[in-house]
Formats: sequence, C-alpha cells, structure tokens
Amino acid sequence: MLTVTFNPALDREIILDDFQVNKLHRVPSFDNMELSPGGKGINVSLALANFGVPSVAMGFLGGYMGRILLDELRKKSRMVSTNFVFIRGETRENIEIIDPTNKTITEINSPGPEIEEEDISHLMRRFSMTLSRVEVVVISGSIPMNAPDNLYPMFVKEALKRGKAIFVETTNKNLTALYESNVMPTVVKPDLRAGNHLLGKDLKSLEDFVEAGKKLLNVGAKLVVLSYHIDSDIIITEDGVWMISPTVEIDYSHLLGTGDTYTAAMVYKYINGERDLVEIGKFGYIAALAKTKKLRKELPTLQEVGEYRDKYEIKKVG
Amino acid sequence: MKVSDVMVYDISAVFEDDSVERVVDIMSKQFLSGVPVVDEEMRVVGFITENDIMKASIPSYFALLQSASFLPDTNQFVKNISQIRDDKVSKYMSKPPIVIMEDEPLIHAADLMIRHNIKTIPVVDRESRLIGVITKIDILKAALREGLE
Repeated sequence: MLTVTFNPALDREIILDDFQVNKLHRVPSFDNMELSPGGKGINVSLALANFGVPSVAMGFLGGYMGRILLDELRKKSRMVSTNFVFIRGETRENIEIIDPTNKTITEINSPGPEIEEEDISHLMRRFSMTLSRVEVVVISGSIPMNAPDNLYPMFVKEALKRGKAIFVETTNKNLTALYESNVMPTVVKPDLRAGNHLLGKDLKSLEDFVEAGKKLLNVGAKLVVLSYHIDSDIIITEDGVWMISPTVEIDYSHLLGTGDTYTAAMVYKYINGERDLVEIGKFGYIAALAKTKKLRKELPTLQEVGEYRDKYEIKKVG
Repeated sequence: MKVSDVMVYDISAVFEDDSVERVVDIMSKQFLSGVPVVDEEMRVVGFITENDIMKASIPSYFALLQSASFLPDTNQFVKNISQIRDDKVSKYMSKPPIVIMEDEPLIHAADLMIRHNIKTIPVVDRESRLIGVITKIDILKAALREGLE
C-alpha cells in the first residue's frame, strides 16, 4: 500500500464554541488545540494504520514545518513507512476551526510551497521504485501552487502502466487534468468541498452528479463516489447508480477526516479481496459514518466501523 | 529488544547514479549524516556519508599529515569538491554496505556500529530491500529507557 501526498500540511485543529468572524476568541485550554500531520494521502495512511494495514507515505516535505510533520507522523504510527522528497520551500500549515455549538467546521488551507522540476523527477523515480513493492496506490489531495497541471496524470499513468489499483480523491482541477489526458484511476472520489463543480459543470441536480460521474467512468474509472448534500453519497459503477444515506443524525462539526476515512476503508476492503465495487463503496461510507462519532480528526478503528454497519440505507437510483 | 523496536521506518535513499551534489543536497535538507544507496529494486547496494564525500574532496596527501591547520586556505578542497560534484555517488559510497535485519537483537546493531565506527545502519528485509534505518542515538535512547536485552 502506497499513498502519495503532493501537498502535505501540518494541520492545526482548534475547537472553539460559538466561533464567529471578526471577533477575538481565546482558546480555553491546550486540550482544545492539536497539531497533527495532514494532507489527504497521509491521512489515508494513518486511517489504514488504525485498521492494521501498513503503508508507505510519499510526497514533498520542506523546511521546519516539514520536519515537524515527519516527526509527528512517526509518533502517530509505526505502521507508516516514510519516503518523502525534501524540497527547498516550507510545508504549509492548515487551520481547522471546529465549532461544536453551531456544528460547523471552518477550514483555511494554505497554498503550499513551490516545487522544482528536479523535485518532481526525484519523487517520480522513488515512486516508480516503490511501486514494485505495493499492489494499491492512493494519490490524494491538492498539488503545490506552481506544480504542472499534468502532475496527477504523470503519476497515475505510471501506476496504471505497472498494473496497480489506484484510488484518487482530489479537486476538480486535478480530475479535469486526468480526464483531459484520458488517464483515469480505478476509484475516483472527487473532492467537492470547495464547491459542487466538476469537469466544467456546476452540479445541482442528481442528474448533474450522475452525468459527471459517468463521464469519469467513460474514460476508465471503475467506481466513482460523489458526495451529495453533505451526508449522502452517490456510488456510480458500470452496473448502475446508488444513493447511500445515513439513518442516524450526523453532527456536521464532526466531518473532519471523513473523506480520508472513506478512501482508506475502500482500500481496506479492496486489499482484503473484495471486488464488488458497490460493497467497496458501501464499506467506505460506513467507515465515514463511524468517523462522525468523533469530533476531531481522530480516525475510527475497525470495531468502531462495525458499530455502524446497519446505520445507513442504500437504494438504486439509476 | 530487537532492531524493529527502535528503528525508524524511513526508506529515504539515493540511487547509485545520483550525483554527489544531489546527495549533499538531500542530506542537508533532511539533516542526515549519511543515506543508503539503493538499486531500482530498492536493494541496498551501498551507504554514503558526508565523511565519504569530505574524504574524496581533500587532497590525498592530507592523510599523511598530522595536522592541516598550517595550510593557508581551502582552495584545494573547494576545487576538488567542484570537480566531483557531478560524479556518481557509487564512486564514493561504502560497499558492500553494513546492513541489519529488523528481527535481530538491538545489541547486534550496537556492536556493528562500534566495530565499523558508523552512526547509521540500513535495515533490510530478506531480499536486502530497504525498510528503514537505525541510528546510534536511537539505540542510546532505547538503552537508557529499557536496556538492550
């Protein structure tokens, strides 16, 4: 299992009751603050470690922040092997303000450092070497500011060439680059947190979501999972379209890390031999539901995921 | 205690055809004094340290001197390091590398470090592929915490 995070971040979580803009807030205690290694691929590695699955985490790190991130990652789990390329710039810091009173999460994500062409070729060589030791690859998250648009296509193409199963959760920009390059991972989970916009179209109705998902299937994806109205998801495969929704109430201030848990759980199911794509999507959803029991970016164990196995409903919608 | 209890699961490495300049850059950015050298299958084929590069850069007659302090400047050193900057790291790395497996006793790692006067040992699997590293300071910390046996 290999995860790639092109733009890791040191996540600073702050829990603040009744958070409001344009107002001074004092954090009541250190218990309300946490610094943790982040970036989507890294989060997937940590979630998999919670499920007992070892992985290699790769990507770009830099400067003081990069070294803290690496130290924190090593402290979190010995099941995550690291293989990061160190760059000249400084790894970014992301801020997440969790407000349990108003049930909101405010996220401020920095753009990240610039990378050089040499850094990309260095990472690609290490990536290519590591591929010989893994069967599944997860490439997730944003890319550094000055990174070329073909960064995702380059890495996905290399992994496809080597016959690996590839899971990707990323933004519209990177998915568009993949789509236009006609290079598509096995499982795609668009990151729609910045807005329901995918492949040049605003997604409003269920039909819009399904149409965008099918476009991704047409260029090679086998499973597409789209977040729909926050707590539901649309699972799209060649065999049809399913809507999956919770039968329990979701606290929206507990959503931090749900997407990464979702991806990790799908990978877990896949490496344990499951090939029914809807079952893979369902297990991801159940794990994400289990994550919402926790306020912080704290990831669920398999036992906790098991507690949510009957707390959803799924229906075929197309 | 075993090597696996203390080692760091980091597989940062350089390739045999990486240049001296690139390796110095990697060691400097990651605060490493040495780094494993691997082939395309990730098998450890050598180990390169800042000391190896330093030795390759100073004039060979230095080894015969008791002290270099009377020499007026570092021109020769600068000239030499510029000449080797594009050389492949395989030219200066130690080979065959000293390696250890994760299920070996920690005291064995300590013994290897003392006998070979090295700070870091690559940890490999049964196919000699890199799975991490163990350093002198990791062993010392573990020894102070719990003892080596």
